[in-house]
Formats: sequence, structure tokens, C-alpha cells
Amino acid sequence: MGVAFVAHCVLNQNSKVGDGAHCAGVFSPIVDVLRAKGWRIEQMPCPELAFAGLNRFWAVREQYDTAAFRRHCARLATAVADVIALRVDQGEDVVLIGVDGSPSMGVTITSSDPQRGGRPEWPDGSPELISGEGIFVEELRRELTSRGIGFPRVVGEAHAIPGYDEATQRAAVESALDG
Amino acid sequence: MKRDQRSFRVALVADQFVNPPRGGVDGVAAAAEAGWGVVQLPADDYPDAVTQRLLFEVAEQADEFSRHGYDLVVVGQRDGLAEALARVGLAVPDAITPESYVALREFLDSRPNPQALRQFGSGAG
Repeated sequence: MGVAFVAHCVLNQNSKVGDGAHCAGVFSPIVDVLRAKGWRIEQMPCPELAFAGLNRFWAVREQYDTAAFRRHCARLATAVADVIALRVDQGEDVVLIGVDGSPSMGVTITSSDPQRGGRPEWPDGSPELISGEGIFVEELRRELTSRGIGFPRVVGEAHAIPGYDEATQRAAVESALDG
Repeated sequence: MKRDQRSFRVALVADQFVNPPRGGVDGVAAAAEAGWGVVQLPADDYPDAVTQRLLFEVAEQADEFSRHGYDLVVVGQRDGLAEALARVGLAVPDAITPESYVALREFLDSRPNPQALRQFGSGAG
């Protein structure tokens, strides 16, 4: 057992970018695994919600990779790192559950398109998905490193990734929790 | 693309209902069944500085939901929440400290349709 730091939208799909909410509120496939294994839940703030608002466009890393958004993420990362540090000091095991494909919360897959911008017209699809971390996750890594805290194990909520399968998602979360 | 499934309903939930003790009320399960999103409030045993940082972020996010007509409620209590919300111009939303899972479900289910849902006619809730 330990503490799972979960992306905001795992508990609140209302924070998602428009057309991005997979369910009404709580994304149960991940919460069910955490409950079954007795892990404590710590919800992280949504980096995009308070910065760009509910009416934000879908965006890739390059569109969010500005000094202002990084300052915003660094502020959030400081708050999250405070709590991670508390839990680590208490000897708790810590896992980070991000959102793969997200420009800010991706932990193994983020989104990238250096040309994207201007009038928001682009074809559906996922050519922007690349290996890597989102901007908030990078800032959290930076903050934890500065405090001498190792980066937690990670797993991504992968609903937005092509080929998503709920059983695979549950297995990935279980694997991350089991270490 | 599948229609957006959000409910436009968000509960600010005290930690004791997000991480309930054995036999306690599971506020996340109740929210999930009722179609509500959850914004977790800081645990009661966090240092003041940590709590204030987290409540600042909660308040900014609540403000965004409120300005867009999402329904907001509070489940449980958290010292400092009222002050944090006041800093962004929000009053404390309707609240419940539920004695039981059933009481929480009844509270959530009894809420009127949020303004945003009436405006956009979307959502699963």
C-alpha cells in the first residue's frame, strides 16, 4: 500500500478539454484498482484548467511550452512536491498516475506538433503522440530533484491513446502499484 | 468523436471522504455513481503552508467551474476553504457532511440541473 498521486481528471472529468471527457465525473477503472489495493489517493491540480480555462482548445506541448505556463506548472509542482515530501518522510510508497497523450500530464506519452497554431483546424487523429513527459510532469521532476527526492514510479491513464483497452489499463496500474 | 460525457457537476470533497477510514463514507464511490466529479480538499493533518497552497489551487479551479455554470457542492468540512474561496469571490457552496453513503447519494441526486447543462444540453449526468 502507498499513496497514489493522480491526475486531477482521474477524479474529475469535468476538468477535461471540450470533447475530452470520457465519463460524467470519476474515471472508475483507475480508482477501482487503487481502492482494491488499499492505496491512498492524492489528487493533483489540473495544470491546464486554471491557466487556459474550460473553453481551451486541444493543444500540443509546443503551444503550452511558454515561460508563463512553466511558471504556473512550477507553482503547482511545488504544492504537489510538498505533499510527496510529507509522504516520503513518512516512509510511504508513492506512485504518480498521469495522463498519457497530455501536453502537461503525460508520463510516458505526450503530444507534439511544432507546426500547430493559428486557426484551430486540424484533422482528427493522433499523429502528435510522442514518447515523453508533459510540461507539468517535467516541472514536478525538476522540483523533486531539487529536493533530493527520487521520482516516483509512473503510469498513465491511457484513454486517449489509440488501442485503449480497459483491462490493459487496469493491469498497467496494478503493475505500477506493485512496483 | 464520442460526445463529451461530462456532468457539469463538481463536488469539493474533504479528504476523510476521499480516503475514508474503514466503515466510513466513500465520497468518491458516491460521486462516481451519481455522476459527479471530485476535487479533493487537503488532508486535515497537512502543515498550514501546504494546506494554503493546495486550497489556493482548489479555489482557482472552483472559480473556473463556477464561472461556467457548473454545479458546485462541498462534501465534508475543511478549515480555510471559505477564506480561499472568498479570495476568488466565491461563497461556500451548498454543503453536506454525510452520515451515510445513502445520505450523500440523496444529496447529490437532489441537486437541480446545473446552469451549464441547461445551456449546453450535454453531459451524462
